[in-house]
Amino acid sequence: MARARIRREWLQKNLTTITPITAAIVLMIALRALNPFFLATYESVVTLIYGMSWFLIAACGLTFVILMGSFDFSIPSVLKLSAMLCGVFYPQVGFAVIPLAIMVSLLFGFINGVLLAKFSIPSFMTTLATSFVAEGLAQIISGGYTRILSDPSFTAISITFIPAKFGLPSIFYWAIALWAVGIIVTLITPFGRAVYGIGGNLTGARLAGINITKVRILVFMLSAFFASIAGILYAAQIQGAHMQIGVLDTIPLFASVVVGGTALSGGTGGIHRTLLGVIIIRWLDSGMSMIGVDYNVRMIVFGAIAIIMTIATIDRRRIKIMK
Amino acid sequence: MFNSSILEVRNVSKTFNGVVKALDGVSMAVKENEIVSVVGENGAGKSTLMKILVGIYPPDAGELYHKGAKVPFPRNPMEALKRGISIVYQEKGIIPHLKVYQFLFLGLEEKFTRLGRLQLERILGIAKTVLDELGVKCDITSYMYELPLSMQKMVEIVRAILSIRLEHGGAESDGVNPIIILDEPTAPLSREERDELFSHLLEMKKTSSFIFVSHIIPEVMEFSERIYVLRDGKLVAHHDLSREKPTEEELFKEIVGRESHRYLWAKYIYGKPEELKGRPIILSVKNLSKKGYYQDVSFDLHKGECIGLFGPAGSGKSEIARTIYGILAPDSGMIITNGKKVGLKDEPHRRLKMGIGYFSGETGKELFLYWPIRKNISLVNMEKVVKKPIKIAAIINFKAERSLAEKVMKEMRIRAPSVETECYSLSGGNKQKISVGKWLERSPNILVLLDPTIGIDVGSREEIYEALLEMKKGGISMILVSDDPKEYAILCDRIILVKDGKLKKIYTNDEFRKVMQL
Amino acid sequence: MKNESRKKSTALPILFSTARMLMRTPAFWLIIGLAVLFTALYSGSFLSSTNLENILKGFVVTSMLSVGPTFVVLMGSLDVSYIGIWMFGGALVWLLFPYLGMVSIFVYPIFGLAIGLVNGIVHVKTKIPSFILTIAITAVFAYLTTVIRNIYGVLTLAVPEYRFLAGSVIPYLPNTFLLALPVLALSIFFMNFTKLGTYLCAIGSNEEGAELAGINVKKYKVLGFSVSGFLTGLGSIALFSYLGARAPVTLDLNEMVRGLAAIVLGGTPLVGGVGGPHRTLFGALAYTLIFNGLFLTGIDPNQFKLYIGLTLWGAVLIASRRLKGVLIA
Repeated sequence: MARARIRREWLQKNLTTITPITAAIVLMIALRALNPFFLATYESVVTLIYGMSWFLIAACGLTFVILMGSFDFSIPSVLKLSAMLCGVFYPQVGFAVIPLAIMVSLLFGFINGVLLAKFSIPSFMTTLATSFVAEGLAQIISGGYTRILSDPSFTAISITFIPAKFGLPSIFYWAIALWAVGIIVTLITPFGRAVYGIGGNLTGARLAGINITKVRILVFMLSAFFASIAGILYAAQIQGAHMQIGVLDTIPLFASVVVGGTALSGGTGGIHRTLLGVIIIRWLDSGMSMIGVDYNVRMIVFGAIAIIMTIATIDRRRIKIMK
Repeated sequence: MFNSSILEVRNVSKTFNGVVKALDGVSMAVKENEIVSVVGENGAGKSTLMKILVGIYPPDAGELYHKGAKVPFPRNPMEALKRGISIVYQEKGIIPHLKVYQFLFLGLEEKFTRLGRLQLERILGIAKTVLDELGVKCDITSYMYELPLSMQKMVEIVRAILSIRLEHGGAESDGVNPIIILDEPTAPLSREERDELFSHLLEMKKTSSFIFVSHIIPEVMEFSERIYVLRDGKLVAHHDLSREKPTEEELFKEIVGRESHRYLWAKYIYGKPEELKGRPIILSVKNLSKKGYYQDVSFDLHKGECIGLFGPAGSGKSEIARTIYGILAPDSGMIITNGKKVGLKDEPHRRLKMGIGYFSGETGKELFLYWPIRKNISLVNMEKVVKKPIKIAAIINFKAERSLAEKVMKEMRIRAPSVETECYSLSGGNKQKISVGKWLERSPNILVLLDPTIGIDVGSREEIYEALLEMKKGGISMILVSDDPKEYAILCDRIILVKDGKLKKIYTNDEFRKVMQL
Repeated sequence: MKNESRKKSTALPILFSTARMLMRTPAFWLIIGLAVLFTALYSGSFLSSTNLENILKGFVVTSMLSVGPTFVVLMGSLDVSYIGIWMFGGALVWLLFPYLGMVSIFVYPIFGLAIGLVNGIVHVKTKIPSFILTIAITAVFAYLTTVIRNIYGVLTLAVPEYRFLAGSVIPYLPNTFLLALPVLALSIFFMNFTKLGTYLCAIGSNEEGAELAGINVKKYKVLGFSVSGFLTGLGSIALFSYLGARAPVTLDLNEMVRGLAAIVLGGTPLVGGVGGPHRTLFGALAYTLIFNGLFLTGIDPNQFKLYIGLTLWGAVLIASRRLKGVLIA
């Protein structure tokens, strides 16, 4: 009896961990059955890495924001703007374009944070507005045209293979490094504790002497920073930038965060979980495209997953009133 | 005398969770056109009794008589309305963005709807007549938030009366005598607003009865016909003020009971004025004002001293405390700590840096209930549990964090399986001890205490008092705001009387105990 | 509401209170300012009858996408499912036309009501934030529309039989506007002459208080979403006629922001409690004027996204005036 209860409690507590792991394994088996080359050849692994790396970086940024109980719609647009800045200005200014893109993105993150923390405007609203401004800027600087970036010294930041023979592209190491930085920041620094604190109990965090204004602004800047890096690396990976970057990414990004087990209500989950979410969503994506499912249907699937997983992960004990 | 009463309860008992006896054989009666007061400390059973009357809790035992006939207890607020009982809650009842007539008829529109369309002419007409009849003068088309607080309360009371009348046929006063329960109605009001509220209540008494739940003695003495005193779930006294009038002190003693913490007083020495003068001043508040809450507040806090801000609820005492921690921004004035001026609009984190801490009894707000004890304790003690491998990067040392939490748990005698236990599963007393413990560990220069022992059992209460007194001995200064005079007597060296947002008088601990007869 | 009731006594207070309401609506001043500005800058083209008709049409589109959701914003939640209703409802009309004939247009309000109900029930039962729920639902339905288009291998889902809805029965008044009138009337009726408006305000202003006053908050939340969906469905008929008897088949986020911006510009704050559809109408007109003016300046329409974003920033900043110091997650 007691044993059964303990087991049930353990299961309940770890459900958010077990479910995505199981899903990933099931998915892998299914994809393997569909396509015997899936994860079996060097090429397929590299393709998969290319699909997942920049996505993971962007998802880590979003996880920061969601952990804090807010939301950031502007990530795909900031990502696109960053890529576009590289595409347009690299020929003129060279590598100085990277700090430029990062600075511009940080500015957007700063505005998001200030509008939330200082003006009490819900984050989904401000970030929605921000996404339009960033998108508009990308349109203006590029004139809407695709830019080619074939300079090998620029593309090398993403597609250098380490080790050179049968190695993985450098974007993979960037992604893993940023992911690890994200984990360190959230799990073992006081700043991360503050992020969890704000997501868990905003008033309590304020009373415990956390500078909630500063932390919230910083988190939005971090999210924009991650998006910006993802954009720069992506531009180097695909050797150019175009206006379609990020257009379809809002829903899959969000889905991968909640599938990993980070609750939209804030305060639970973590960046370490997001890797699993990204794996599941990207495998699902490539699996579906493998059997010829068109992107509209994939979007429907991701939308449904996002809703279901949000409902499943939300911490209903804690919420009295949900708007 | 019970014969003329319109509502009577006899021997009501209520037990929660099979252990806590909230009510134990309480009887009371309400007559026509009178104001009856029910007084008692927090946790004395006042609100449980009221919730039984309006059908939120079912009683374990007891009888209810309505106009002399035995009736079952109401099972929900609607049934209570049928018996002519309605309640006006302490707060949260007012909906600021509705217009007065909308608020008056909120939830009562059923009788004024034809084919889905509201009959606004009728609603407006009735709203006007009812307000006129009860002597409440306000524009029915203004928004609730535009009215002064006392007027909002009046409208809420009118709404309660109206809902009972509509339940019994019409908006006119004939026949029914509504019984309105007022749960601490004066808490957020200023003195003037309070007087206005009471003058209206006396007017309304002509057609209604009121049960007035309060712990503010002067009010109770001034405006009610009879007083019931509850303590620890029992009815300890009943005064008919038309026959005998107890003194305020007598009533006070009945409310708090005889039991006292004399041994604590004996154990600690409280600062005498001349001795305190020798100590350095650690916090100095000068001419602090916030419109509508407090005016011209000035006092000095010495090292290792505890000052109590004592006064009725709504006197501005808790607002002063919240201002000192930066939760509320004052309009003008000065706060100086350790010779440094504190920015008036600074957020709590800036205050904490300057050595001011804050701790309130509202565990839901203060604690992270779904965090383990370890994290709750380390949150304000981050400096003690981080290591810095490089200068700018700080990393939490989990081992240090755990041992810190274990140390606090031992010191505070927190009863929990381990430092990883999530706080929501703990009892109220243990939760409170975590809050005290984290501040004990942090030991700021000044600790602001707001109702530090609200709603917890006597045992934990004493443990918390001892911890706080030890902290004080260690040189931490405190500012206490509470509802319990005993708490002031135990913790404070000096007690400042706050009334209507102004500091009136300073007592030493001895004087205070003499005045309060503790 | 009070205007109606006081009709009998005197006319003066009505004028007075209406004027007071207008003075306090930032959108009203914005409209006047923009009208004056554009008249001064482009007197010829701005006041031409074609342009005025364009403004009217634009106003109809924006208001049809915003009056319904206003009811949800009023109670502090958010409903952006209007794009989904508009698009997928159109697909349903197209699919059902061969079977139902001319009646099939009434699928719109029924579908809207159904979506509203689902939104409300799921939101109340699972406590999922309404914004995320409705945006995900919108995405699902928008992509479903494209899928249907692809399955049938057609370019648009137009129903030519309904073309008569476009055009003008009355000169200078597009039918689109006439079709929108009942929706506007109905929304004002719900808001000011039924208890629903009051209850939704009460929920937005103080949810706990509304519960204490004996209101079944959950029921009215579901009702709020239902009314929103129903009005959007009904309004989509006007939108259907506006595009010449069809609904869009690809998701355009600009359209989504249009509704939100009109609500916020009109002065219904996102925390709820105050405002209502009558205010949203001002917001819709202001929004339409801004973009009409931008067209007249001859800016490349591809750059409009930037201005939409800036407008939204401005709108939320205006709306945040009273929110300072409120802790929002």
